[in-house]
Amino acid sequence: MNKKNKIASIQLTLLRILVYAVIILLCFLCLFFFVMLIINASRTNNQLQRGFTLIPGGHFIYNFKNAFTDSSIQIPRGMVNSFIVAAGSAICTTYFSALTAYGIYVYNFKLKKLAYTFIIAVMMIPTQVSAVGFVQLAYKYGLNNKLWVLIVPSIAAPAVFFYMYQYLKATLPLDIVEASRIDGSSEFVTFNKIVLPIMKPAIAVQMIFSFVAAWNNYFLPALLLTSSDKKTVPIMIAQLRSADYSKFDMGKVYMFILLAILPVIVVYIFLSKSIIKGVTSGSVKG
Amino acid sequence: MKDNKPKVKSISYAKWGYIFIIPFFLVYFIFTFYPQVLTFYNSFFENFRDGLTQIGPRFVGFDNYKALLTPSDSGTIDILKYFGNTIIMWIMGAVPQFVIALLLAVFFTNTRLNIKGQGIMKTVIYMPNLIMASAFSMLFYTLFSNVGPIKPLLVQTGIIDQSFDFFFTTISVRGLVATLNFLMWFGNTTILLMAGIQAIDESLFESARLDGASSTRVFFNITMPLLKPIFVYTFITSMIGGLQMFDVPSVLTNAKGTPNRTVMTVIMYLNNYLGGSNNYGMAGAISVILFIVTAILSIIVFKTIDRDKG
Amino acid sequence: MKMKKFISAVLVATMVLSMMLTGCGDGGSAKKGEGEIFHIMAWNVEFKGFFETYFAEKHDDGEFYVGDAKVKWTIVPNEGGAYQDALDRALLNQENASEEERVDMFLAEADYIAKYVQSDSTMDVTKIGVTDFSNTYKYTVEAASDEKGVVKGVSFQCCPAGLVYRRSIALDVLGTDNPAEVQSKLDSWEKFNEVAALCKAKGYYMTASDGETYRTFSNNKTEAWVDADGNLVIDSAIQAWMDQSEMFRDNGYTILCDVWAEEKQPQMLDTGKTLCFFGPAWYYNFCMGNAMDTCKGDWGLCEGPQSYFWGGTWLLAATGCDNTKAVADTMNAFINNDEIVEKLVSEQSQFVNNQKINEKFASDPTYGNEFLGGQNDTALFVELAKNIKFQNTSKYDQLCNEGIQLYWREYLKGKVTKEQALENFRKYIKEKYPNVNTDK
Repeated sequence: MNKKNKIASIQLTLLRILVYAVIILLCFLCLFFFVMLIINASRTNNQLQRGFTLIPGGHFIYNFKNAFTDSSIQIPRGMVNSFIVAAGSAICTTYFSALTAYGIYVYNFKLKKLAYTFIIAVMMIPTQVSAVGFVQLAYKYGLNNKLWVLIVPSIAAPAVFFYMYQYLKATLPLDIVEASRIDGSSEFVTFNKIVLPIMKPAIAVQMIFSFVAAWNNYFLPALLLTSSDKKTVPIMIAQLRSADYSKFDMGKVYMFILLAILPVIVVYIFLSKSIIKGVTSGSVKG
Repeated sequence: MKDNKPKVKSISYAKWGYIFIIPFFLVYFIFTFYPQVLTFYNSFFENFRDGLTQIGPRFVGFDNYKALLTPSDSGTIDILKYFGNTIIMWIMGAVPQFVIALLLAVFFTNTRLNIKGQGIMKTVIYMPNLIMASAFSMLFYTLFSNVGPIKPLLVQTGIIDQSFDFFFTTISVRGLVATLNFLMWFGNTTILLMAGIQAIDESLFESARLDGASSTRVFFNITMPLLKPIFVYTFITSMIGGLQMFDVPSVLTNAKGTPNRTVMTVIMYLNNYLGGSNNYGMAGAISVILFIVTAILSIIVFKTIDRDKG
Repeated sequence: MKMKKFISAVLVATMVLSMMLTGCGDGGSAKKGEGEIFHIMAWNVEFKGFFETYFAEKHDDGEFYVGDAKVKWTIVPNEGGAYQDALDRALLNQENASEEERVDMFLAEADYIAKYVQSDSTMDVTKIGVTDFSNTYKYTVEAASDEKGVVKGVSFQCCPAGLVYRRSIALDVLGTDNPAEVQSKLDSWEKFNEVAALCKAKGYYMTASDGETYRTFSNNKTEAWVDADGNLVIDSAIQAWMDQSEMFRDNGYTILCDVWAEEKQPQMLDTGKTLCFFGPAWYYNFCMGNAMDTCKGDWGLCEGPQSYFWGGTWLLAATGCDNTKAVADTMNAFINNDEIVEKLVSEQSQFVNNQKINEKFASDPTYGNEFLGGQNDTALFVELAKNIKFQNTSKYDQLCNEGIQLYWREYLKGKVTKEQALENFRKYIKEKYPNVNTDK
């Protein structure tokens, strides 16, 4: 019996070592490329051409200045544009999804069931299917190069609605709504002052996700934003790939990439716990 | 929907229900539904811009579809080839993604193994999911290009020889696309599957262990069947996302799908027509085909699950 | 139909509402007289540099001005037709564009200038005060004129191109670095190929890219890329380039990469092992600029096996422009203002579009280009400029030129057969230009 236990515990230890090795390898893979990016972003073009070393080059600020003041790829402008689109979308998506979810959850009306079924049914349609028509309309009405065209459609986000609906079902006691009505609050006040605070965790999570998604979005913005002062960061990054390279300073290229992903990473470092929680809470309940 | 409130009360508020959901539906119909209809409508027209001249719109019936489905000189039907490319690259990334994610989820949730530092590990493996795909791809391009730092390292160690070009070899470009997709998504899948396993009643595992079942048996007889709904959910999401693959292969190959268009995905093909010449006709036809294929695949997957259940 | 109308109405309402909310009206600036913003579109910053150094005034706010108009640049890289697309869209939208967006002047290259010159999107520049072309090279005016001979713009440079060689390698391989003697050993493609073999024997590359000689061939085409009936034509000159690049690959005379590839860059530095580069003045002054730090003076210039020209930057006046005076002043300054044009030569080593000035420098024994070891490149270019003919061009040239090199390289790299390479090229053109007949 004792021997058997011993073997089992040795097996367990071996397995544990193996598991740790695998996980550490994967973590290494995830971090390795970013370490390379940060190191390379601190080296000059000349240093870079001599091959890779693990020692930073000490020209981080130099590359930063170069990248930030580049006249053909205006990364500060791009970051501002990306921020406007991302923040705008995040706010619209979460507020209106919550509003819609609340509307369908709390009120009884004829088309309630139909509305709910419809939203769930269209959730699976690939977004690209509407792209052709969307691009055509945008050009027809001269709405290309307008940032709000990328923000407004996020009001209707079926997946976020679904998440909000699930959350309401789990957390909102209808008595509260009732009580608020008795206090004489109008329906909008009830929603804004009472229900929204209750939904705060769900809104925060979805805000982060929609912000990140909009910040990283490339396909549609690239088709619509052609004017250089309206371009968002991903378009600029893709432009790096096609620019006449030989004139390019690779140190600056690495810095561009770093600047593109940095804001999201910084947010992530502070909010990683709630973000990871958010990944699961939506889908699993559903 | 269970509604335990007296109905009389809410009826008088019915109009508020409509008011609250109107913005959503208005925006949906204008910015998504109407464009979708337009996409279908466009696919029957010749409509593009040749430099400064607008050609069309002119009704051409099914000509755009015919053009898409006619084999080229070498006998391949291009759009099928691009569907093939997309699916192959998705599978190349998704297989390791799901295998690793399943393993990690089982390890992390195994109380006997008792893995320490899970918080930080989850944080690290989830991070790539938030990285801008185009920037991540551009990073890979600069690192793996002929003048990037990785090639000399591999040449020195004798793994590849000097003439090897990462971006001119089908398997290596597809491999890089798959690697990027894997890195970006395995953390996400791990976390979802973990939550799924944690939702399983712990007592089931306890009793199985008391019965002397091996870990593999527990995995196949308890974990997998109970995890199935979430597994299928993540799988379908991954597949639909995979069909829409665009940013990564587009940036890696500069929108060309090099070599020999073996890395061209369906959306890249769509983008070839839509960007630049604004060819709404052909782009519309590709979108419609994409829509149909997505629908068919989803139905097949759903059906397979249903059959398994029965 | 009713539905459509309703939706359009809602769309417009949404638009107006959001515009009010975001406050992005056009400012309603008066359209009379000169606009407040002088908007220029270009594909790189070469001209911008000259414009800011020699012409525009920098005000205290750090911005550049021409007259009272603030200069605004929109730079979109050329590659893949991105610049043309952006330009097409901007020009088609001139009527509805705000002051900020309205294009006043734009730059165009030889590859696609025809498209704009032959459209209504460009203006007759003689009507806004650009009338004196007496000093410019004839082909630059022809290229900027439509079928009726209406001149729509001017070029600030003239682009005869030659062969730039590395003197140290020429000494080693050919025993001389004297331009005339080097030329005598490279004045035909047969001799060029023989020298390539000599280079190989000594461990050098003849060229640093399979596309290096492309422009020499493509510029001597006998037919345009797309003929009058809209058929794609692969000219015998292009075929000759394909054959040469294949032979160069087989013998290891070159590096298999794009003419703009990053792999080429080390070849321009002091570590480089390549004898020949092909290009006009802007090529070695602007694109080989990286080389100037480490091996300035180690270069020489000769005509090469075949005369050709490459590129050129035309300034065109956009229809709807509201800064006509600024546009005309800029154009005149860069072709007829002796002071500016002279500085372009003496300080920027440009080959300018002013015969009088070029000839002055050509005959000046004290003038020389430091990059070329003091050689007087202007003297050579004055001769070469006489051979330039602007012919056999079509509006599809840019993507045809880019595409054939890209897809042919896949063959050179051994990834596809010749037939596949050409088929892929045809597909690429068909996708970009649906009304070009790409069938064989």
